[in-house]
Formats: sequence, structure tokens, C-alpha cells
Amino acid sequence: MPSKPVLFTAAALIAAGVIFGVIFWLTSRANDTTTFALLHTGKTIAENGRDGQPACVQCHGGNGEGNRAMGAPRLAGMPAGYLEKQLHDFARNPLKAGVTLDPIAHDYNKTPKIQVDLTALTPGVRRVDAMNAISATLNAQEVKAVAFYFSSLGYNFTAIPSDPETLARGEDLALRGKPEYGIPACASCHGADGKGYGNHFPPIAGQAPEYIVQQLNQWQTGARDNDQMALMRNIAEQLTDGDKINVAAYFANIAVSSTGGVSSP
Amino acid sequence: MNSFSKSVILSAVSILCTLHVAKAEKLGGELDSLEVRPTLVKPQLSLPTKLTEVHVASPGEFFVPPNVADIPNDKYGDMVRMGREIFVNTQISAGRYVGNALNCQSCHLQEGRKPYAMPIWGAFGMYPMFRNKTRSVVTYEQRIQDCFRFSLNGIPPSVDSPEMQALVAYSHWLSRGAPIGVELPGRSLPGLMRTEDPSPQRGEIVYTTRCAMCHGELGLGKKTADGTQYAFPPLWGPDSFNKGAGIFRVRTAAQYIKANMPLGQGFTISDQEALDVAAYIWIQDRPKDPRVGYILDFLLPRTGAP
Ligand code: HEC
Ligand code: HEC
Repeated sequence: MPSKPVLFTAAALIAAGVIFGVIFWLTSRANDTTTFALLHTGKTIAENGRDGQPACVQCHGGNGEGNRAMGAPRLAGMPAGYLEKQLHDFARNPLKAGVTLDPIAHDYNKTPKIQVDLTALTPGVRRVDAMNAISATLNAQEVKAVAFYFSSLGYNFTAIPSDPETLARGEDLALRGKPEYGIPACASCHGADGKGYGNHFPPIAGQAPEYIVQQLNQWQTGARDNDQMALMRNIAEQLTDGDKINVAAYFANIAVSSTGGVSSP
Repeated sequence: MNSFSKSVILSAVSILCTLHVAKAEKLGGELDSLEVRPTLVKPQLSLPTKLTEVHVASPGEFFVPPNVADIPNDKYGDMVRMGREIFVNTQISAGRYVGNALNCQSCHLQEGRKPYAMPIWGAFGMYPMFRNKTRSVVTYEQRIQDCFRFSLNGIPPSVDSPEMQALVAYSHWLSRGAPIGVELPGRSLPGLMRTEDPSPQRGEIVYTTRCAMCHGELGLGKKTADGTQYAFPPLWGPDSFNKGAGIFRVRTAAQYIKANMPLGQGFTISDQEALDVAAYIWIQDRPKDPRVGYILDFLLPRTGAP
């Protein structure tokens, strides 16, 4: 017969186990319900729009697969954090954004770091008239929900063929960049297959070539101005029109697909 | 084992540990002197933009290596292709010689083509060469062996191994048309201006604002989704280059960072910032120098000091 304290400890351990189990179950259920609620809100906004603004699905397609003819990019399966940032940047007033100083807290012991290039300092703006109007009607929660909804969708992108010459040049730029101009390879951040990396480096494969060229052009003109540390702007500014077409054709020639699914919100 | 010998071992281990910690603190302490060195808080102008940037990309200045599509379709070409594969994908194609998570391409950027990132076309024609590190004349193969041993923290392939021959063939092909024994523009690394002593404190600020996004908050790099390789290589920690590597020297690292980092924005951080962040990287932990034993590793002062 084990002594009393031993029995007591065993009982306490079992009780603790049961309590933790229940708590775990409850929290995981709560997680499920938040995920579900987010998806539901996201879906509602995506399909109905808000405040009389057009719904996302009108241009981006019922499953977020994008619409090449309209120039609407694929949203399905894009990283949620990336979509969220884009929506916030769309919503920001470009005129007001220009004067914000130093978004990063530099701690140079009260000697301010003087920077003059405003584009490096703006928290990020993207000028696309339709999207500016739509994003302005969404609040932070809704932005989160709709970004989460689209990131959970699956997609199936069939490769868009091009002529071998274009593809070979595009591949050269995508895998090797232009060393003598200081342009790094696309692949070093966006991945060799263009599938992207994390929230900062979106997938390029699976977008229409016209859209990619358009974005590179917008970086050059400054209409799109929301990249981290001006990484993409610096690169886009050195690309020739031919480079843009070649590299866009190369990435559009990669077939990508995903069955979708939720990661944690 | 009796309790006496156990306690002896335990105390020996703890003394060694404190020694190691004490040394790390002292290194930080030496450079921590914002109060006693007022010069360090001088306002610092750093303009990472084209408005003040004087560096002009003058592509015509640099040697342009041949195009990959032009690798000949013969046995020589096969060897060149294998060499390129090893250079780009060292982890897989020469994995048994590598002790960390880097590829040759992680430092010799863009398949060894990028000027001011130790380009291969700038090096091939310069060997055999006298090196201060070994105080002897080294051949090209021996130089590559050094990069395997220190930068890749591994075991060098022998001079006649197929991997080495392929790497030499690749270097030979990449340097087609480059003169022998001439310091080409863009060779090795750019010079640095004379600056103040580097400060890891300021380096940490540079690191978190300009590097952490890619190399991770902890500097341990970021792995790809399948977790087998690094999408962004580690700057310190067990998977990085060791303390014998050339890039472990603060000055070399600063030169490299100035010309090449943040990726795609070479020459946008000032010489001072490059040195600061290099010093910050230098004080972190990484594999030991293979030339010294484990005990000497923490008893000897560090090499490569700023
Ligand atoms: C951790 C970064 C790193 C890695 C990885 C690396 N190297 Fe190096 N390599 C250097 C540095 C730093 C130098 C020295 C530059 C100097 O001293 O001017 C160098 C120099 C060289 C040189 C001589 C360059 C010259 O201009 O004299 C060759 C050749 C070379 N490396 C080949 C390789 C090969 C092959 C690999 C892969 C097996 C490799 N390196 C991997 C950092 C690296
Ligand atoms: C845009 C992302 C990005 C940023 C920002 C960036 N790096 Fe890198 N860095 C890379 C990539 C990618 C490589 C490897 C190159 C390759 O594999 O093609 C690399 C390689 C390196 C290397 C050599 C490889 C190694 O692991 O030692 C060093 C050193 C380095 N970076 C330092 C820095 C420093 C210091 C900063 C901040 C000033 C910085 N990097 C900012 C992407 C980045």
C-alpha cells in the first residue's frame, strides 16, 4: 500500500492534468471559432463589398484567382500579412503620407537621423484609384479578415507560354540579376521558383505578366511606393523595358497551384 | 564515481563557463563607452538615397563574364556546368565538404559574378599569389580549400577531387577573356575610408533597421518553407562561417557589407555604419577557428579585431 502523500500527489497530478486538458480544449475551440469568424467576415466582405463599393470578387474573381483582362492580380494563396499591408497602404492618403518622418524609431541618442528622400520615409502608399476608394471603407479588423480569407484560398495557375528567347533572357535575370548594375537576382528573395518568402517577399509566379510589368513601372514612376527599405524601387529603376517583359514572361511561365487551407490567423 | 570527483568536475566546468562569459562581457565593455567618448554621439549623417549617394553604377567599367547559355556542349562544358552547380548549390552538390549552411554563392554573390563581392573572374587570373594569412604562396586550388575550411566551416576537398576540378573549370570559364595578373576593377572588395572606431551599439541599430528583415532578428538567417536550406543565410550562430574566415575580420566584413548589403542596395550605407554593423556581427557567437583547439578558442583573444 503506497503511503498517503504518494497517493495525494498522484491525485493532484491527475486533477491538474484534467484541468489543463479542459483549458487546452477550450482555448483550441476558441481558436477555431476566431478562425471561422475571420473567414466568415472575410468572405462576406469579399463577396458583397462595403458601403456600396464594388465587391472584391467582381474583379479578382470568385476564388481570388485574378482577372488577366482587367489587370486584377491573383489574391488567392497570397500571404495574409502581405495582403494586409497592401490594403493599409491603399487606404493611406498619399498627400498626408509624404510628410511623415522616420517610421522606424532610430535611437541615435536624440540626434535625429536626417534623411531627405521622402519616399524612403513614407509608411507606404500605392496609387490605384479603384483600390484606394475601396480600402478606405474598411477598418483594421475587416482588412485582417479579408486578407486572411484570400490567403486561405487555393488556386491553380497554368503556365503562360512565351518564346524561348524571351524565357532564356528572363531566366538569366531571374537567377543571376545584373551583377554589373548591382541588381540582385529575383530568386534570392522571391525564391528560385518565384513562390515568394514570408510576408515581405510576395510570390511572383502565378501572376499575369502584364501585372508584373505594370508593378515594376509603377515603382519607377512612384505610383507604388510601399516596399520595405525601397528594395524594389531601387531595382525597378534600373530595369529596362525589355528586362521587365522578359522577366515577367519567365515567372508567368511557371505553373503553380495550391489546394489552400488556413494557417493560424 | 564518488561525490568528490563529481564536484571537482562540476566546479571545473562552471569555472570554464564563467571564463567564457567574462570574456564576452569584457569585449562588449571595451567598446561600450558612450559616456567617456563623446565623439561617438556626434550627429551622424546617413542618407541611404540617391539624392546624396555618390556611387554611380558604371557597368561599362567592369568585366562581364560569359553567359550561362553559352557554356559549350562538350566535356569541358559538362565540367563547367558541374562547377557552377557546386558553386550555386554547395549544400547539395558538395555537401560532404560543408560544415555549415552556406553556399559559395552566399558570399560570392550572383554565381561569383558580382563586382566588389569577391568575383571569381577577378580572382582566377591572380593566383598563385602570396598571402599574408598563411605567409606563403598559395595556388588557386589552395585558396578555394581555404574558403571550404573557414567560410564553409568544413573539410577542404583535395586538390585532385572532382569537386575541386569542377570548381576550377567553372572559374576558368567565367574568367574567359579576363587578363592574367591584372587587378581588374571590381576585384575582391572595395576600400573603406578611415572612420571612427566601430561601435557594436550603433551596429545593433543598423542591424535591426536594415538587415533584420532578411537575416532575422537573431541573425540566424531564415529557412525556406521545407526547412532544409536557408532562404536568407545566417550571419552568426552554428550554421554560419567560423572564426577563421576572411569575412570574420571586421574590416573585411565591413567592406563586403558596404558594397553588397542590404541586398541590391550596395553602397547605400556609410562606411561608418558598415563598420559598426560588422563589429556587431563580430561580437556574436559562431563556430570556432579550426586552427585552434576548444580550450584555446576561449582563452586566446579574438582575431580579426576592428
Ligand atoms: C562566408 C562567406 C564565403 C563563402 C561561403 C565562400 N567564400 Fe570565398 N571568399 C570569402 C572572402 C571573405 C574572401 C576573401 C576576399 C579577400 O580577402 O579579399 C574569399 C575569397 C575567395 C577566393 C579568392 C578571391 C580573390 O579575389 O582573391 C576564391 C577563389 C574563393 N573565395 C572561392 C570560394 C569558393 C569556391 C567557395 C565555395 C566553396 C567560397 N569561396 C565560399 C568569403 C566566402
Ligand atoms: C533583401 C534582403 C537582405 C537584406 C536587407 C540584407 N541581406 Fe545580407 N544577404 C541576403 C541574401 C539573400 C544573402 C545571400 C546571397 C545569396 O545567397 O544569393 C545575403 C548574404 C549576406 C552575407 C554573406 C553570407 C553570410 O551569411 O555571411 C552577409 C555578411 C550579409 N548578407 C550581411 C548583411 C548585413 C550586415 C545587412 C544589413 C546592412 C544585410 N546583409 C542586409 C539578403 C539580405
